[in-house]
Amino acid sequence: MNTHEENYVGKSAIDEIISKHKGKPGELLTTMEEIQEASEYKYLDMQSMDYLSSQTKVPLSQIYSVATFYSFFNLKPQGKHTIIVCRGTACHTKGSKVLLDDLSTMPGCKDALEAGETSFTTEDRLITVKTVACFGQCALAPVVAVDGVIYSNVTSEQIKKILQNLQEDNKDENIRLC
Amino acid sequence: MENKFINVKIDGRDHQVTEGKTILEACLETGIRIPSLCYLKDVSHNASCAICVVDVKGAKSLVRSCVTSINEGMEITTHSPAINQARKTNLELILANHPKECLICERNGNCELQSLSAELGMTETSFPRTKPTEASDETSLSLVRNPDKCILCGRCIAVCADVQTVYAIDFAGRGLRSKVGTYQNRGLGNVACTNCGQCALVCPTAAIVEKDDTEAVFADIYNSDKIVVVQTAPAIRVGIGEAMGMSEGALVTGKMVSSLRKLGFNKVFDTQFTADLTIMEEGFELISRIKNGGTLPMVTSCSPGWIKFIEHFFPKSLKHLSTCKSPQQMFGAVAKTYYAEKFNIDPRKLVVVSIMPCTAKKFECKRPEMNSAFHYWKDKLNLTDKENFYDVDYVLTTRELAKMFKKTGVDFSSLPEEEFDHPLGISTGAGVIFGATGGVMEAAVRTAYEVITGKPLPKIDLNVVRGFEGIKEAELDIDGTKIKVAVAHSLKNARTLLEQIEEGKSPYAFIEVMTCPGGCLGGGGQAIPTTWAIRQKRADSIYKEDSMHAIRKSHDNPAIKAIYSEFLKEPLGHHSHELLHTSYVERGIF
Repeated sequence: MNTHEENYVGKSAIDEIISKHKGKPGELLTTMEEIQEASEYKYLDMQSMDYLSSQTKVPLSQIYSVATFYSFFNLKPQGKHTIIVCRGTACHTKGSKVLLDDLSTMPGCKDALEAGETSFTTEDRLITVKTVACFGQCALAPVVAVDGVIYSNVTSEQIKKILQNLQEDNKDENIRLC
Repeated sequence: MENKFINVKIDGRDHQVTEGKTILEACLETGIRIPSLCYLKDVSHNASCAICVVDVKGAKSLVRSCVTSINEGMEITTHSPAINQARKTNLELILANHPKECLICERNGNCELQSLSAELGMTETSFPRTKPTEASDETSLSLVRNPDKCILCGRCIAVCADVQTVYAIDFAGRGLRSKVGTYQNRGLGNVACTNCGQCALVCPTAAIVEKDDTEAVFADIYNSDKIVVVQTAPAIRVGIGEAMGMSEGALVTGKMVSSLRKLGFNKVFDTQFTADLTIMEEGFELISRIKNGGTLPMVTSCSPGWIKFIEHFFPKSLKHLSTCKSPQQMFGAVAKTYYAEKFNIDPRKLVVVSIMPCTAKKFECKRPEMNSAFHYWKDKLNLTDKENFYDVDYVLTTRELAKMFKKTGVDFSSLPEEEFDHPLGISTGAGVIFGATGGVMEAAVRTAYEVITGKPLPKIDLNVVRGFEGIKEAELDIDGTKIKVAVAHSLKNARTLLEQIEEGKSPYAFIEVMTCPGGCLGGGGQAIPTTWAIRQKRADSIYKEDSMHAIRKSHDNPAIKAIYSEFLKEPLGHHSHELLHTSYVERGIF
């Protein structure tokens, strides 16, 4: 993991985020959200959480509680691209398990998901695979979201192509598959 | 404040109950007990278990009586076939994820989940386990967490946050993966936990228990090469009776001594002896600080949970702590030097076991600096660093001692009453009251007054510092000199006094802090259950024992006089400095 040079969110940036939301309802959630957004790999690193706790006096156990409750928060570095596979009932019956299996060909992915992890990130931090209970787009099943863009009626061929394009840095190619 | 009463109907009968109570409390007032699980009076009203559901006329569904306030005109049904069935179903859902290994569980026979199952007449559990299993957390020297046995009632979280303001644990995860966890899953031993054990005391199951050291102690007792001595904290004599099935707060000093002897300890000594010694050292330290312009207020250092608390959360205020070791650690140091020398015992063969109402003491005895006796003997016996030994070898809680008694067939109630061994078993009434909040303060005043003024104390009982008020304060008139003192128990109250110190607003010269609610008699290692009513009974027994003592002031203890004339020479002297005083570390929050 240490092969990646990483820029953690700076203390002054965190200070700024904290003061922006100070006293507002739900300030902890918003503050944590923005710290995650400000981080290079879109996750809450330990230094940031320690600093947030020391500045706001919110105990670390509570910050951790919030961070682990919401699936939005990441405690591990996220890949440059995120693929979210819907595992709702409609998508499942239309074959979303197959799509997940296709993605699981990436080394380590299958083990992580089978061990109950809710997300998997490739070692080169290029791709993160996640599942979601339902996108609410059941008519378009099976549905996959890639970097926030929803792909509908996805087939095995398509998902493989999407993955290949991401790996070859041809992101724009994917838009045509949309 | 005058109570207002409201009219309600409970199970078809009219009742007048106090306004502002929950349905559960109000029903209890009328003698109707509603079964409950996650609710714990004064600690937790998490409303997570749904066992306490009742029917309220007009409500859409059954309501949780532990969090629903009772109102004028309410018609409540507490028991009916439908309600009972709902309770059973809810319990069944909890049992689905709870191991059914009661026969081989630490809390077998003292488990609220087990007794509730019996009460509701559970005969089958039809739901399969859905939660993934998780390894136990054994990172702490004091406590072990077994997440698989956790029913997510939230009591431990509530006591840690609201009573102790430590926040070492909280819910983590969501849904099936919900659990009680530490920050980053580091484990209790690797976060800012004070080891106070209040979580273990309120846990309804065996999800949090003390680290069990009974087997290691048995091994040393049965090892003929070892000389095993035991010391018992003041609060044990009012707690062990309960753990052995006697009445709440039963005072069983003599039976405890004979049982310990029967268990095989070579000598049965009393931590109260070193409580008296603490008073001498701490009293003189206070007098010296006042006379020489030292750091004030001085705060007591007997309670290891409190020590770790201040090291984590207020490291800048460590200079306010008395440098005195706790009585348990003074005992270990004195036993392996003074006692060993006096009776010609090889200190390497001497094993010191402490019976404490406390889980934090397990951590305390393994602090690296708690090896003063080793340093005392190092040159004399040509010891290498590899031969290092601690002053206190093992700490057992009240509950662990009860386990040992039961295992060895000690018939606690029928054994004769016996006396402690000499000389480390001789103590005074001042030593006894260390077990209750305010006791150290009262004991210190009994000695300090007479040392400073040279006159006998007009009235021995210092009632102003007794009782369970969170923070007690008093102004003492010592021969014209007035000093203000304060007494706090539970870390939330300690935090208040510390914040005052850090703001420079503390008006006190001397502060006593005890980690646990009620002091050691309500310690995290005490018998379960420990409620405020039970704490009161234990306190009554403590003060009764004090009043029965012929000698009630530490400086009048003949064994204390002897140890000073034979060994220590004077309070705060050279040996005292080496053996009885200590230093602290800045830990910070993590």
